Amino acid sequence: MTAPTIILVEDDPPLRRLTARALQEQGYAVRTAATAPEMWIALQTPADLIVLDIMLPGTNGIDLCRQIRRENDIPIIFISARGSEEDRVLGLELGADDFLPKPFGTRELIARVRAVLRRRSGNGFETEKGRNEARFDGWSLSYARRELRSPEGALVDLTGAEFDLLSTFIGQSQRVIGRERLIELSRMRLADSSDRSIDVLVSRLRRKLSATDKPPPIVTVRGIGYMFKADVTHA
Amino acid sequence: MRAPSIGLLGRILAVLLIVAATEFAANTFLFERANQFALRDDEAYRVAEHLVIARRVLDRAAPQAREAAAKEFTTASFTISWPAGHRASAGRVELRKLREQVIQFEPELLQSKLSVHLQPLSEGAAIAGTMELSDRSLVHFHMRQSSNVWGLTFGSLLVLIAPTFALVVVGIVMIRAAFRPLSMLMKATSHVGTDGHEHVPEQGPSEVRHLIHAFNEMHARIQRLISSRTQSLVAVCHDLRTPLSRLRLRLDNAGLPEDASRAMQEDIEELSVLLQSLQDYMSGQSAGEEPQQLDLAAMASTIIDNARDLGRNASFYGPEHLVMTARPSALRRALNNLVDNALHYGGNVRLVLKSTESEAVIRIEDDGLGIPDDMLGEVMQPFVRIDGARARNTHGMGLGLTIANDAVQLEGGSLSLSNQAGGGLCAIICLPLRKE
Repeated sequence: MTAPTIILVEDDPPLRRLTARALQEQGYAVRTAATAPEMWIALQTPADLIVLDIMLPGTNGIDLCRQIRRENDIPIIFISARGSEEDRVLGLELGADDFLPKPFGTRELIARVRAVLRRRSGNGFETEKGRNEARFDGWSLSYARRELRSPEGALVDLTGAEFDLLSTFIGQSQRVIGRERLIELSRMRLADSSDRSIDVLVSRLRRKLSATDKPPPIVTVRGIGYMFKADVTHA
Repeated sequence: MRAPSIGLLGRILAVLLIVAATEFAANTFLFERANQFALRDDEAYRVAEHLVIARRVLDRAAPQAREAAAKEFTTASFTISWPAGHRASAGRVELRKLREQVIQFEPELLQSKLSVHLQPLSEGAAIAGTMELSDRSLVHFHMRQSSNVWGLTFGSLLVLIAPTFALVVVGIVMIRAAFRPLSMLMKATSHVGTDGHEHVPEQGPSEVRHLIHAFNEMHARIQRLISSRTQSLVAVCHDLRTPLSRLRLRLDNAGLPEDASRAMQEDIEELSVLLQSLQDYMSGQSAGEEPQQLDLAAMASTIIDNARDLGRNASFYGPEHLVMTARPSALRRALNNLVDNALHYGGNVRLVLKSTESEAVIRIEDDGLGIPDDMLGEVMQPFVRIDGARARNTHGMGLGLTIANDAVQLEGGSLSLSNQAGGGLCAIICLPLRKE
């Protein structure tokens, strides 16, 4: 198996050199580009991932991302110096796979690159990948914005753990999901991940989904875990 | 584009002109009426007879006896006196038609240089007049009740009142017209520095127009100044992140001892938090977000749950749902900042959400030491930190409360801070509930 090839688009020369070195040390093959035209040349031979700075001289990264997506499905990780929520959402909606705000460390960079590559090779759990939105019982969940909207259209905030839990339920609706599996999935998010904390998390999610007259779509399966029983459509 | 203006001086002149014209018109009206005024024939005949007999008798009487004789002629409605006590006042209103009527009946009176006029209001507004005796002394007469003299009286009242009335009406109209743009300008002045930039229309007298024009230009200059400052600050924040990234990556490669490396990483982290709070502050000021429906209860409980998930002492008391219209990112940032402050300074946080028909009230309390009372007003100013130079153990730049306050005010709400009786700070946010 050959090392994955990463195209790094960054206009600041020292940062480009440092980032490239960090990636190479992890065994990735790196092609660098300072501008949009250079990136198009680098993209003529197949690659596995593009790491793209949003602010570039000439074409900006957002437009560039849009242009790449028109002809290529290669994974993209955005790097932005603005760190704002709007940038993150815009990048993800344009089809970027992840978003990394400056300043980032080697560990963070490598973790994101690994996660995106693994997700794309089909080993990940994220069954929602490639879809923008899911709907159930009039509710809608936007993956790029990480937003839940009630049937009345009101924005209902979710914690990171709640969002992950809901995504898991939606990805496996009408199937019973064991408590052990949910604990494993939420270990990243919760300080203390246990039976009890999963039950708390589920009850929090139920409460948030209780706005309509219908009962919340998460049912407890005694002794095993939970099931999401609403019909889910993806858009 | 805009109609030429006559200016304040022009307006005042116009007011005077209109008043003068009104007075002239009222006078003309009165004189015209007086000229046309006539008594009924029988009445006029009686007057003529009375006058001609009185003249004949007085003419023949010796001057010493005339005064008494004149008294003899005086009846209930007709007074005759000799010598004429006072000169008739200037500007009196001649009753030419009535004089002709009388002379027609008694042409003899033509020799007496008869004059008939309307007495001024101060003297009873009766018909009065004079005639000459053959020795050129004057006889004065006046009639008390004459059937239709009141029409004329009304006319002379009009002469008095009309110009004043015109002055008041025209004055009110023109002064209001002149001051309306000024009050618009006043309103706009109180909005300087907020986002609702209104271009005040250039109206009114030319002086006011120039003032409004100058104000608009000043406002635009201030806006440009603010936005160029903001732009450059945004650019600085943005550009600083690239060298900070380099520093992070170089540090990872430097192979420093573990504790030195961790300390430097924390420094870099602190720097980027500072940059983030500056960027948040400035993006809050530019207010690009659109209001939308959101569940405030879900938002508040999510913030508390996030803190609990990280193992902090946080609790939420409130309804499960409270839907309102607001700007979600800005409001979330405001609540986050207040909750973070409570956790940082107080070590715990209680968030209580209540709502009435018209507003939502959010109390964010902690059990810390609170803020010294004399600092309560200041902490909402940008870059003010209560621990000041004493200990730099705070994160951020002292913008958290400013950002929260800006966000709440953008929703038309208010943020107030107070120290609780039992210790600890209490932040209260009131948000109006906009009904769709």
